[in-house]
Amino acid sequence: MASIQLENVTKRYKDSERETIALDQVSLTVDKGEFVAIIGPSGSGKSTFLSIAGALLKPTDGEVFIKDKAISSLNEKELAHVRLEQIGFILQTANLIPYLTVLDQLLVVVKMKGAITEEMKKIATELLEDLGLGMKLKKYPNELSGGERQRVAIARSFVNNPDIILADEPTANLDTARAHEVVQLISKEVKSRNKAAIMVTHDERMLKYCDRVYRIEDGILKEE
Amino acid sequence: MFLALKELKHSKGKFMMIGLIIVFISWLVFVLSGLGTGLSDLATSTLKYSEADYAVFEDETDFSFSKSILSESVEKEILKQEGVDAVASMGTVSASIRSAASDEKNATKTDVLIAGIQPGSFMEPTVNAGENLTSNNLNGVIVDDSLKADGFSLGDVLAINGSNEEVEIIGFVHNQTLNHQPVIFTQMDKFRAVKYAAPGSDTGIENPVNGILVQGTDVDTKKVEEAVGEIEMGTKDEAVNAVPGYAAENGTITMMLWFLIIISAFIIGVFFYVLTNQKTQQFGVLKAIGGSNWFVIKTVISQVFILSAVSILVGIGLTYLTAAVLPEGMPFNLQLPMVVIYSIVLLIISVLSSLFSVMKISKIDPLIALGRVE
Repeated sequence: MASIQLENVTKRYKDSERETIALDQVSLTVDKGEFVAIIGPSGSGKSTFLSIAGALLKPTDGEVFIKDKAISSLNEKELAHVRLEQIGFILQTANLIPYLTVLDQLLVVVKMKGAITEEMKKIATELLEDLGLGMKLKKYPNELSGGERQRVAIARSFVNNPDIILADEPTANLDTARAHEVVQLISKEVKSRNKAAIMVTHDERMLKYCDRVYRIEDGILKEE
Repeated sequence: MFLALKELKHSKGKFMMIGLIIVFISWLVFVLSGLGTGLSDLATSTLKYSEADYAVFEDETDFSFSKSILSESVEKEILKQEGVDAVASMGTVSASIRSAASDEKNATKTDVLIAGIQPGSFMEPTVNAGENLTSNNLNGVIVDDSLKADGFSLGDVLAINGSNEEVEIIGFVHNQTLNHQPVIFTQMDKFRAVKYAAPGSDTGIENPVNGILVQGTDVDTKKVEEAVGEIEMGTKDEAVNAVPGYAAENGTITMMLWFLIIISAFIIGVFFYVLTNQKTQQFGVLKAIGGSNWFVIKTVISQVFILSAVSILVGIGLTYLTAAVLPEGMPFNLQLPMVVIYSIVLLIISVLSSLFSVMKISKIDPLIALGRVE
């Protein structure tokens, strides 16, 4: 069973003068335990791709299946639910909530789903320990380094045990050593927890950690 | 609540400042409400807190004790009407008093309102010191205890300026003022001897009084007016509103109160709207990682609720402290029901003011979390 499948997805943007095609008949299937990279220059359609795969944006044509369930007919509330239950986002520059401690960054996602139980607290703590943040549970984002923040973002994306991990330029703003460390960690967690992961990046050095690499240019997706 | 409390705790300074503004506003609202009640008491307490339900005056006198003059015998007619249980006549006259022992030229005089009543009627308040009026003691009077501050005490003999009458204080009563003056309750005959001393000043009316207070239930005032003739009848509230200056005074204070409440709503609304605008990226991220609209909206509403509730409570505390240190003679009467009502109104309006933010939040596109939109 494919965790996530895009089928002939096309996205067109219209403004007053002309129509731009951001994605053109894109199809992609990612299975459990696979780590796929999508590279391309800026403006190539990477972000549009990630937005559609992440249930943030609806395609003009085509369909997205998450665990074989089509999502294009869902309303805003149902999409939020899909994002909460099935998708873990690792966002660019971490995008952590400034007034929450490292542990609370994870618990807020738990809270969205329901009550924060002792068991969930334990799971979140173990996840953070696994990512080498055991000593930083009570720290605020401004007390962390860039790499540490990105690791918190990784932990946050895994905490609700989603099937799909989507990473948006996770190495932006990181030096080479930190960038390698972060992508290695994503790869390790994806494999050990058996998730389907897609990483959008323009950083070619990171491709060696991925199972498959796709290049996107002018909205057209090609496997390398 | 999770996010709301964490943020309140983390950004104490920021929220304390806006909290302080709400504290000051609610403090001012409660103090003003106390002063408003105090002032309206000063103007009307004898009427307002009396056990009367209706009031009867001479026709075409706008419910005014000073314009109206009736014969005490009208009482009997009114008592016959449907729904009427009891009647009590009252006559009022402004006067100034001094200690009878003092010399008229040099003595300090105190403005008062002399109210003539029938001893034992429901218009006679119960004394908190001394004894009540009795029909066999014509010179005895019971007076508002604010006169104590002017140096009067039980057993003092008072001279009434412009009159040869002298009276003796036999009791004190609390919170009895009318037309902003402390009330001296006298026997009806004593009152007449002061007000209608000059021959013909009673315009030929036998046993004149200025108004008749009525106790009763579901009295049809129009019907009574027709049956008795040459009178006008209104509810107690109508009579209270007709007290000179009362309506204007009360209107001014009520207007200030509502302006304050609306201003506080705007301050809170705008503050949280600006805060929400600053946090669009954060809220976008929360939505992107699966937070529903309601999840995000809840945090803002609960922040407004917690902040307002705590600030209003502090405001109430400060108000009672203020009440404790206010000088004795200040017309200040803080009533618990008013405090509760204004607190609830302030709280509801504050929470409603967060609707600006709620609208803003529901429009935030989670797509902004991706950092750039192509």
